[in-house]
Amino acid sequence: MRAVFRTVCRSTLTATAALLGACVSSVVVDARFPAPLIEPLPVRMGILYDEELKNFVHVEALPQQSAWTIDLGDANLALLSPLFERMFAETRTVDAVPVAPALRDTLDGVIRPRLEKFEFDVPIGERDEFVEVWMQYQLTLYNPDGSVVTEWPVSGYGKAELTGRREDSVRRAAVIAMREVGAAISTKFAEQPDVSYWLRERQDEAALSADLGS
Amino acid sequence: MKLRCPPTSAANAPRHDGRARSAAVLGLLIAPLLASCGVTSRMEPYKQTDAVIDDGERVVILARRHHANHEAEQEFINCISDSLSKGKDGIAVHPSSEFEDKMYPWFEPSMAPLSTDDLSKLLEKPGVLEQVRETGVRFLIWLDGSTDRVASGGGITCAAGVGGAGCMGLAWWEDDARYDATVWDIKELSSAGTIHANVKGRSVMPAIVIPLPFIARPQAAACRGLTEQIRQFLTTPEGYGAGPEEG
Repeated sequence: MRAVFRTVCRSTLTATAALLGACVSSVVVDARFPAPLIEPLPVRMGILYDEELKNFVHVEALPQQSAWTIDLGDANLALLSPLFERMFAETRTVDAVPVAPALRDTLDGVIRPRLEKFEFDVPIGERDEFVEVWMQYQLTLYNPDGSVVTEWPVSGYGKAELTGRREDSVRRAAVIAMREVGAAISTKFAEQPDVSYWLRERQDEAALSADLGS
Repeated sequence: MKLRCPPTSAANAPRHDGRARSAAVLGLLIAPLLASCGVTSRMEPYKQTDAVIDDGERVVILARRHHANHEAEQEFINCISDSLSKGKDGIAVHPSSEFEDKMYPWFEPSMAPLSTDDLSKLLEKPGVLEQVRETGVRFLIWLDGSTDRVASGGGITCAAGVGGAGCMGLAWWEDDARYDATVWDIKELSSAGTIHANVKGRSVMPAIVIPLPFIARPQAAACRGLTEQIRQFLTTPEGYGAGPEEG
């Protein structure tokens, strides 16, 4: 079903892009992202991946250039899945927030990542120039009952030499930007003031439960 | 060290009066151009420890990528890595992208340590030192710099008619390859030294009916020179280099 939706979506976007310019440059960002080398946070987290994130395609017609379609759907999952699995003691994907009552006791919180902004620039021609990509994700942390703990915008920047095919340079720059996003999420998430406070509360609750249990 | 651009074939021209005269004229015209075409390199190694690489230890070569306007080209990193590991006295080189993946996210452009103090702090993080040990990397070499076109001039005009086509003129350009290799010793948690490479190359392309490109490749020369310096740096104790090498 997802594949059909995606094919229809991509065809529509490509057709739109084709109308915007004489030709279309298509990039599918398919990369493998490593899991971060970090200590997991001691919380059980639900992860909510929206369809929009899973099927994200950026369409833009650059001035004096062709139209571009940049497919980041698979790359979003390739980046975020191993990242969250390593960041938290336990993870599971959830379909909605608030989560089903049966699941509430099994989760400490839910994270919902969204790709809010994507910008890129492909210079025209000359040597010694770089393709640049900038992107911003929005991470929303919820309690299992659906109340918002915090919203955190995380951005990443990547540049790649303009060599060979322009599409390849855009792909490389996008991967670098996504790795930067992953680096920021994995190392700075717990440092966000609201998250830090929330984590302390979860640890206090866990300690209290352990005391009551013993 | 001075490398010449490719020699012309005028010296090997066959003994045929008409052709020999033409070749001689062509040779006379091109000779001054060839003299101005070439590569000049300067290497300045500075080693501040007597650390050398041991059996079973590896190096990794990484690009400094936190600059906004330049970074060492990936093909240059690959050139140094490949050249360093080749030959009977080759050094074990850990692939840079594989190292960055294993150490992710600590060597991404925004996170990479900028000093050996930063490196010390990084190695204190859980699991990081163990992962570095697993890679077998003893020396971390940061490459910073780029190859840029610093000047160009002249021009070539081409025309075509019923009787044929041809070009006339002269174009030239200068490329400047400047790189710094900073060597960190992970075992000693200190900077072992630096090697500065500056290679300038002037290319010329005269056109007498057909364009004849005499292209200097300063980046390739910088790769060869820097590779040799890094090899000596890692295998010879302090004081191997008697100051800057000029050519």
